[in-house]
Amino acid sequence: MKILEAHNITKLFPGVVALDSVDVSFEPGEIHCVIGENGAGKSTLIKCLTGVYEPEEGEVLVGGENAMKNKSLFDKVAYVPQEIDLFGYMSVAENLFLPYEKSGIKGTVNQKELQKKAVPILEKFRIPVKPEELVKDISVSSQQLLQIARATVHEEYEVLMLDEPTTSLTTSDTQILFEIVKEIKAENKAVIFISHKLEEIFALGDVLTVFRNGKKVAYSKLEEIDIPWVIKQMTGREVNQEQVFYSDKVTDEVLLEVKNLTGERFTDISFELKKGEILGFSGLVGAGRSELMQAIFGYLPVYSGSVTLDGKEWKLGDTNYSVNHGFIYLPEERKKQGILPVLSIRENISISVLDELKSGLNISKKKEDELAQKVIDTYDVKTPGTDKEIQFLSGGNQQKVIIGRAMSCHPKVLVFDEPTKGIDVGTKAEIYRLMKELAEEKEIGIILISSEMEEIKKCSNRIIALYEGRKAGEYDAKADKEAILGAIIGVNS
Amino acid sequence: MSKEKTKTNNAFISALKKSNMTAIGAVLLLMVIIASVASPYFLDIYNLQSLLRDLAFVGMIGIAQSLLLLVGELDLSVGKIASLCGILSGMMMVNYGLNPWLSLALAMFMGLVFGGINGLIITKLRLNSMVATIGMQGLYGGINLVLTKGKAITGVPENIYILGKGNVGPIPFPFIFCVIVLILVLFMVKKTKTGRYIYAIGNSREAAKILGIKVDKIRMMIYSIVGLISSLAGILYVARLGSAQSAIGENWPMNSIAASVIGGVSLTGGIGNPAGALIGAAIISIIQNMIVLFGVNVYWQSAVSGIVVVIAISFSSISEIVRERKQRKIKLG
Repeated sequence: MKILEAHNITKLFPGVVALDSVDVSFEPGEIHCVIGENGAGKSTLIKCLTGVYEPEEGEVLVGGENAMKNKSLFDKVAYVPQEIDLFGYMSVAENLFLPYEKSGIKGTVNQKELQKKAVPILEKFRIPVKPEELVKDISVSSQQLLQIARATVHEEYEVLMLDEPTTSLTTSDTQILFEIVKEIKAENKAVIFISHKLEEIFALGDVLTVFRNGKKVAYSKLEEIDIPWVIKQMTGREVNQEQVFYSDKVTDEVLLEVKNLTGERFTDISFELKKGEILGFSGLVGAGRSELMQAIFGYLPVYSGSVTLDGKEWKLGDTNYSVNHGFIYLPEERKKQGILPVLSIRENISISVLDELKSGLNISKKKEDELAQKVIDTYDVKTPGTDKEIQFLSGGNQQKVIIGRAMSCHPKVLVFDEPTKGIDVGTKAEIYRLMKELAEEKEIGIILISSEMEEIKKCSNRIIALYEGRKAGEYDAKADKEAILGAIIGVNS
Repeated sequence: MSKEKTKTNNAFISALKKSNMTAIGAVLLLMVIIASVASPYFLDIYNLQSLLRDLAFVGMIGIAQSLLLLVGELDLSVGKIASLCGILSGMMMVNYGLNPWLSLALAMFMGLVFGGINGLIITKLRLNSMVATIGMQGLYGGINLVLTKGKAITGVPENIYILGKGNVGPIPFPFIFCVIVLILVLFMVKKTKTGRYIYAIGNSREAAKILGIKVDKIRMMIYSIVGLISSLAGILYVARLGSAQSAIGENWPMNSIAASVIGGVSLTGGIGNPAGALIGAAIISIIQNMIVLFGVNVYWQSAVSGIVVVIAISFSSISEIVRERKQRKIKLG
């Protein structure tokens, strides 16, 4: 018996066919993985399956009944979004049971009782927090698990839909999540697991559906297929998994030298970056990697230590100085800190180099357009034009625009903070190739922060491991994966 | 996706973007038509002059306020800065016998300083702009009362009257100042680097800082400009009344915010055009003018004007709702 089905659904947006006659169905007691590049139609499918969007054609059935005629059937589909959307200033217990009507709590709300009811759920999901703690004070991993727990609390759910649930989880928490998902499967619920991480899909899933350009292109049992096959289905081409992307033109010239730097979440860090080198920073979420780079960049305070760039003393605490003197930071939080969402692609690119685009007192729109077009061509940004608001581009294309913008400032050091977060396999390889090219041809030094071991290993000439704000080891490109993993979880210190 | 489809899509989106501004323009036009049909006195030259004179003040302050709204902040002390600067100019002219033009220039300089103080404490102490300026308006208003004991300063030299009461041809002087302010502000916002940075900060303050934009410096500069424009409006009002009074600018903070929002400036920053604020101000002024022309009972005036302002604000959001509905319905073959 199928619990959730979509028959022949088509969803249109102005100028785009987001879903093209898609048939897909989900069975109880099965973990069904869904994969596709950015813009392949996964998000649209989710929104159709949860009743947010109404498709132009086709129908969605829940338990065999047409859910488009009876919207309350969508309550059986529990959806956990990719981004954490909990109420930070409310307690864990309150977050678990909100909205109260849906959790069967009527009339007044008794906090003590809520907290008592929360305990077994927190245990089931192995969330190591107290029910009365505020959500803003618990770890990101716990928040992620809490969000999943919350989805299962509501009434009688039959389908659990997880959208990229592991992006902010550490390796050990991912294992916990997998165990929980398997328990839910054993309760004869249908699980839909959406992820970019192929290893996870193969570790967890039963069956897989692949989307490309709004169409369902493949469906298979996972035991019958392998990773290269999936990538080929996703991208429509072969991607070499073994390819490495570290720079082949590392010079002996020291570009950036950091000595005994201490700040809010890092202590006594020293390292060197050479011209043409890609230096990887590996560590767990919260190990202080981003904080270290943001401090050198001038966004966060530094308590002690010194930095030199090109042999000159570096001024700390001033992002304007950093950008003008060739140190650029590309933030992990692309949506909040990277893009200017309601401005056009053109304005997003030109903002860094407005002085060069002047004609007289005015900013020349012609020069702006030329620059934007150049970035679009050079970095292969997929967009109908320079006037499109950047918020409507996919994550990978936004990232390319941001890289293009950074490069038009002629940087000496470029920091990539989780550059492929939320970006699909095909585009990932493009970003890696870009980093390699920039290091080799423009002779800049690149710092790569990443939580993905594969990514760090593939791209870095040297790797520095951080553990709880301290340097836990330094490795070269050929070092053992296990040694680095040990360092970032604090084993061999 | 074919190229052709993309093109129509683009044209469609840009048409929608413009439509916000045209919608407000259409509302304004509609109101002018209704007013001129409903009351024979509306198009009377004296009525129109007095309308433009009122509009000039709300307009100037609205344009200033829209600058702050573009970076996601607001200033509730604009009215008190205006009246304090008016009082200061009056005292310099009347009590100390200073040259009137010099007095006005000094008062405007003080407006710049007051605005700068607002900006300084808000950026350096990281205060919320609304709460901080509620406090500051109390301070500026208080200084005003200490200086005047609540009495108006009369006997302002008559040669400055032209600034407030005079006309150039048929057009009132304050309105000309208002247009000059708009042109200068529009130039800054649309053509210069600073203007782009203002939109960038309104889009995301964090992203702007990471781009190396001197966020706090620009915010402070805007507060100073707002102070300067407020003081300009204040001294023009003194010239209009022929005396300096502490009651000047009472409704300006709220009216300027309403004018900006009616004109399509977003309260959360990054979206809008200062020219919209002037259209919004025109709509508010016509409402008030019509209330007078229709002889609405004095006790009802505030209630009526309040309701009409809410309706006017709804227009831009209703057009947004309609647009979303349309977008949902559009099917491409």
